[in-house]
Amino acid sequence: MERREPREMLRGLLGPAAPEVGCDTCFAELDRFVELELAGHDAEVALPGLRAHLDGCPACREEHESLLALAAERR
Amino acid sequence: MSTVTLPVVEPGAPDLALTQRPPSLDDESRAWLDDLRTEGRTKDEAIARLHALLLRAARFEIARRRVTMPYLRGDELDDLAAEAADDAVVSVLRRLDDFRGLSRFSTWAYKFALLEAAVKLRKRAWQSREIPLEDETWNRLASARPGPDDQAEPGVLLDAVREGIANGLTPHQRRVLLALAVDGVPIDVLADRLGSTRGALYKTLHDARRKLRAHLAERGVALGQWLEES
Repeated sequence: MERREPREMLRGLLGPAAPEVGCDTCFAELDRFVELELAGHDAEVALPGLRAHLDGCPACREEHESLLALAAERR
Repeated sequence: MSTVTLPVVEPGAPDLALTQRPPSLDDESRAWLDDLRTEGRTKDEAIARLHALLLRAARFEIARRRVTMPYLRGDELDDLAAEAADDAVVSVLRRLDDFRGLSRFSTWAYKFALLEAAVKLRKRAWQSREIPLEDETWNRLASARPGPDDQAEPGVLLDAVREGIANGLTPHQRRVLLALAVDGVPIDVLADRLGSTRGALYKTLHDARRKLRAHLAERGVALGQWLEES
């Protein structure tokens, strides 16, 4: 079992302070969010709460990182 | 995925250039939709191209994560990518009407393959592992101590968090929170074991976190700079 240092553990326990969307909304909007990021727009303004969700949900964060990398590579 | 949604966030100041732009499909996305919505050979060929596109995306995801899974053989990874692409094609075709033209079709489709590949990898990594018992997890949390360079603040915070978890949460909230945040169990794996969904478990996690934060606020425990909160 991996050991988490207290700061990381506390962040996981408390989650993001800001309001956030859920996993379903995150998935529904992730492609738009990524393209806004790649175009240099403030994606959080267009899709409020999605960035906070990525901070709080490791699974969605991984998928966001992958989609951002893949879309950037294929532009 | 589940239909459970968290409370709607208050929208920020609207960026009219972003929110009011009518969707206008690029030529490539339009061609994808036209070909996938027709019948016969054109549709069959489009599905084959879609499968190839999603297989590349699944392989991309697996290549990014394989360093964390050195025990998986190449043929296992190939099979996993193929399964992810197959499942993603089904999802894309089933949800074709959900595509609103707010991104390129390929970006929209990629996310289904990345999700399928990521979920399969997480489940594969945990297929022979048990979710730790709550007592074991509780002991790990109870033994957590601030590092030698930290001030007193984290110790107070840790104590208050432990108290909040013990006394302020339902048994289900406590189980989900400890498994996800302390043991690092992937949310898809936990959802599978509990017969739930990612969306429903995240809602439980979200509620537990709100309760914990309220517990800290009631006791006047500041999160402070130690957690780098704004």
